[in-house]
Amino acid sequence: MIYEVRIVSKTPKDPKGQDLLAEIKRTLNINSIKKIRTAKIYRLEGISKDQVQKFAETVLFEPIDQRVSINRPIFTDAVQIIEVAYKPGVMNPEAASLLKSAADCKIPLKFADSSWEYVFYGKVKKEDIEKIVKRLLVNESVEHVVKVPPKTLKISGKTPSVQKISISNFDDDLLMDLSKDRLFLNLEEMKIIQNYFENIGRDPTDCEIEVLAQTWSEHCVHKTFKAKLVVDGKEKLPLFERIKKTASFNKKLIVSAFVDNSGVIDFYEGWAVNGKVETHNSPSAIEPYGGAMTGSGGVFRDVLGTGLGAKPIASTDIFCFAPPDLPAKELPPGCLAPDYLLRKVVYGVRDYGNRVGIPTNNGSVHFHKDFRAKPTVAVGSFGIIKKSKAQKGKPKVGDLILTIGGRTGRDGVHGATFSSGEMTAETIDVLGSAVQIGNAIEEKRIIDLVLALSRKNLIRAVTDCGAGGYSSAIGEMAKSLGAEVYLEKVPLKYAGLAPWEIFVSESQERMVIAQDPKNLKKVAKFAKLYNVEIAQIGKFTGDKRLKVVYKKQTVCDLPMNFLHDGLPQRKMVGKSTKRTAKEKLPSKNIDIAKIWPKVMAHGNVCSKEPIIRMYDHTVQGKNALSPLSGWDYSAPNDGAILEPILGKPYGLAISHGLNPALVKIDPYWGSVWAIAEAVSNFVAIGADINNAALIDNFIWPFPDSESLADLDKSVDACFDMAKTLSMPFVSGKDSLSSTYRYPDGKILKIPPVLLISVFGKIPDIKKTQSADFKKVGSTIVLVGNLDFKNLGGSAYFDITGGSGKVPKVDTKNLKGVLQAITSGIQSGEILACHDISEGGMAAALSEMCFGANCGASVDFSSFKTSLPVMLRNSKQAGTDLVLFSETTGCFLVEVQDERVAKKLFGNAPFQILGRTVKQQSISVNQASKTICEVSTSQLKSSWQKPMEEIFH
Amino acid sequence: MAKPKVAILITDGTNCDEELFYAFEKFGSDPKYVHVNELRDKSQNLKNYQILALPGGFAYGDDVASGKILAVELISFLKDQLKDYINKEGLVLGVCNGFQVLVRTGLLPFGNLGKMDATLAQNESGHFECRFVKIKIEKSQAKFLDPYVGKTLDIAVNHGEGRFFARAQNLAKIEGQKLVFCRYVDENGQKTQKYPDNPNGSLKAIAGICDPTGKILGLMPHPEKIVDITQHPNWRRGNVEAKGSFIFEGMIKFAKQR
Repeated sequence: MIYEVRIVSKTPKDPKGQDLLAEIKRTLNINSIKKIRTAKIYRLEGISKDQVQKFAETVLFEPIDQRVSINRPIFTDAVQIIEVAYKPGVMNPEAASLLKSAADCKIPLKFADSSWEYVFYGKVKKEDIEKIVKRLLVNESVEHVVKVPPKTLKISGKTPSVQKISISNFDDDLLMDLSKDRLFLNLEEMKIIQNYFENIGRDPTDCEIEVLAQTWSEHCVHKTFKAKLVVDGKEKLPLFERIKKTASFNKKLIVSAFVDNSGVIDFYEGWAVNGKVETHNSPSAIEPYGGAMTGSGGVFRDVLGTGLGAKPIASTDIFCFAPPDLPAKELPPGCLAPDYLLRKVVYGVRDYGNRVGIPTNNGSVHFHKDFRAKPTVAVGSFGIIKKSKAQKGKPKVGDLILTIGGRTGRDGVHGATFSSGEMTAETIDVLGSAVQIGNAIEEKRIIDLVLALSRKNLIRAVTDCGAGGYSSAIGEMAKSLGAEVYLEKVPLKYAGLAPWEIFVSESQERMVIAQDPKNLKKVAKFAKLYNVEIAQIGKFTGDKRLKVVYKKQTVCDLPMNFLHDGLPQRKMVGKSTKRTAKEKLPSKNIDIAKIWPKVMAHGNVCSKEPIIRMYDHTVQGKNALSPLSGWDYSAPNDGAILEPILGKPYGLAISHGLNPALVKIDPYWGSVWAIAEAVSNFVAIGADINNAALIDNFIWPFPDSESLADLDKSVDACFDMAKTLSMPFVSGKDSLSSTYRYPDGKILKIPPVLLISVFGKIPDIKKTQSADFKKVGSTIVLVGNLDFKNLGGSAYFDITGGSGKVPKVDTKNLKGVLQAITSGIQSGEILACHDISEGGMAAALSEMCFGANCGASVDFSSFKTSLPVMLRNSKQAGTDLVLFSETTGCFLVEVQDERVAKKLFGNAPFQILGRTVKQQSISVNQASKTICEVSTSQLKSSWQKPMEEIFH
Repeated sequence: MAKPKVAILITDGTNCDEELFYAFEKFGSDPKYVHVNELRDKSQNLKNYQILALPGGFAYGDDVASGKILAVELISFLKDQLKDYINKEGLVLGVCNGFQVLVRTGLLPFGNLGKMDATLAQNESGHFECRFVKIKIEKSQAKFLDPYVGKTLDIAVNHGEGRFFARAQNLAKIEGQKLVFCRYVDENGQKTQKYPDNPNGSLKAIAGICDPTGKILGLMPHPEKIVDITQHPNWRRGNVEAKGSFIFEGMIKFAKQR
């Protein structure tokens, strides 16, 4: 039988309950509930009552501040009790710990589970409870409300037999029926499969179809990026070719680019650093907590699975959501509310990254209404590896295929194919099984093991099991040799998986290793030491076929060349739509002093401190530039710097840039902006673009001819900018499914996102800089050419209803500006530096002042020169446009005096703006006239409030 | 004199081991990673070490309660070895998750292996928190920290469950026996209950305690993350120091003299 152990804290303080209550009041506006208490429930099966008692006393319950009850309710006075548990089959990471601890105490516990009970007091209406459950408590794709307690925790099942699919008889409709919701291939691709099997004179198995669908999925094979392109009648180089060509712009830096799970560049003393950025939008749209976790997990394993094993030492998180206050009626059917998504994604990143012990050092959050159907959730990770081990390993014939780490379950089946499809109102119901909950500690174990094996030279080749599971990992690793896989040897979470499910399941926290058989014993010893399960599930054959067997029955037998080269290069046609940005300036009577705090409170500008504080950015002790610094640790920095080898002066610098609002208005110049912003952030901390590489992430709507033409322009921008700056791309990823289809067929295109990440090496971390002003009385300089004629897509226009073209980055002077900043920081003459981005100079200046608890006095009369737009309002003379222009590639810097500025920036455009002052306010002047004066404390509280409200 | 040997105890989910190793090495001891499984299979024994250090992290995912599963493992499987080690006056340091483990084994505050007399409860804020705070070292049974008494230092905290709690009687005992060696303080150096200077709501602003012998120490903040000046978020502003060294210097010096 199952025993239920309930545990509750003795003190009436219940942070979990309080948090939920606050959320109910804030997001659902339900105010009749007085109090919520929470209790933990453990279910234990297979042991006696006495053993349950002993287990509860030694492990589960701490009398100092908790009460316990066994098989009895723990709250007797509640109005309503709701128990929320993981659905059967969704792995609860805590169960394994319960079994381990029971074994340590010599208690023969067979099965265990845990869940939470929410206990409501006050006036609780039935319909309110339903709302609370649906909106805040339960995510139906992985959780459920326990109405009848389970009779057993054992999950049993009968293995379904292998199905043959008589594809040869299928007409076009049947082929597409087979593809829909399962394979996500188009008709042409389905026909290639049909023809292949007709030619070899047999029907495919379900496993073969799944393997082909996975291998040929957009997510895994990037058909669009490799396609032959004709855009606006002109033949163009495939997108991927253009990106890859950038390698020649700084060849000596590259250790490996676009051939491994991440890009690798040179570091110091025989070391290299690697980086990868992944998106996890589709799973995060459905189950944000699990989706964000598995996104982090996947990218950490990408870094780990590079070369012969790299150590992940940093991570970045970049999100785009609809504004948190989006009215419920504007939310498309089947989509989750943006504030719920934001909070759950943040909690997922927190609970995974913090536990694995990889610091989250850099990130950003962006808001745009059109993300309401699907958020963008990008997670990056960066690592360090010996250069001698940085090349991808090559298996040899006879090598063993080992799986290490987590067991395989039904979770994550169809993840790769599902990520490649568009989202509809039904996605959330039909494809719930494609998302899962990560187990961070399992991930930490496999990281520990792989790094130990790597140090001992016990890895021939390694890769992670991500999208497509074993099918993808083994299919790739054995591409040139061929492999035989025995599915019955795969450790399973529970019985009942069909062979094809075992092969394509995307259960998390698994890696595949190619292993010389003579080292197997040594490997097994390390695996035991680190509590990692390993199994030998196949071998590399040399017959260039992918053969998969389940209990002697062949479930897949395909030649590698058909699997990897059977898909013809796509031909795609793009056609630009002409966009004319309507030019509309805000009213002449804008009161800058009133609008400035509003700009500071804009979602894209406001402080993200409550989020940053929940992420561990000091674990591993390598942090050399915090996300926040300044006298009260609240001023944000533009990038991250780590000290990968403790005790050595070398730094790894990381930054990123994106702006979906601009790319939506102008795909080319919006993309230029994103790249310039990423490198400006990189340079603002003192790093050097000559020692840095780029990573691209294109998160784009489904490539119809219009979106394809936009994508083409964005890729052109990447190439042009890489050339201008002499920087190579070394890794990248495209996710072309940012499209939502309403039940009536109407399409919502989610704004196209070009996310650019930069990483590179720094010879001496002591020669770097933060953004906070350092002292009173120093000189403030603007470096770079500000485009204050174009404020399209800016926070200022968003608030005031303006519209127009996107700001044009001064690409001609950009490189010179960047180099002047880098050398000014390295020489120690730049005392503080912040790049201009969302919120413009207004935001940059404010943040720099927050860091020093000082103010500033600036004069804009130097901008007056002969610009008609300035005359719009003679009183302010365009001060608002200068102040709120979001021209990236420009910097605010603090230097000792004008003399230093002239020396440092003699060859770059710059303007002396003013000085830092003791008084805690910022005054903006035109010559002798003060246009406005705003107190920094007012700006700061407006800037801090929005995220504090969401993450109370 | 030989460098004291330090066992950095690791297991599933330990994640502040590298910087703890670095700190112990930097201040003149000889650290080595020791996996719990190596103690269990007897390929390693604590008797060969003078300092046992439990790093931060999420041992076994902090399932059930933070540090609980490892604490249960230590008091079930490794009880005798641990007792021997402590009876022979070996030094013990638990940082963050390591402190949580020591409290859940009962070794802190009163050295009662198997009996919990205090706990580290969920932060009052309800969530994980990563920031720099100030602590002040005070006179305690940990005599080797005497040279540092009265000093205030900036230090990293990163935890979700660090609220020191004990019942009134035990709290009085902890204070009476001088077991508190550091507390959270405000900018004036006064102990504080004010958030975020006291980042978790710890009673009496307790940040770190020792046992009555002064040889077992635990604290929530991370001294190992502030041993180089560049680890301070504000080193570029000047006027800051990296003083996490106090605990390593103190322990290592003491271990050398014995």
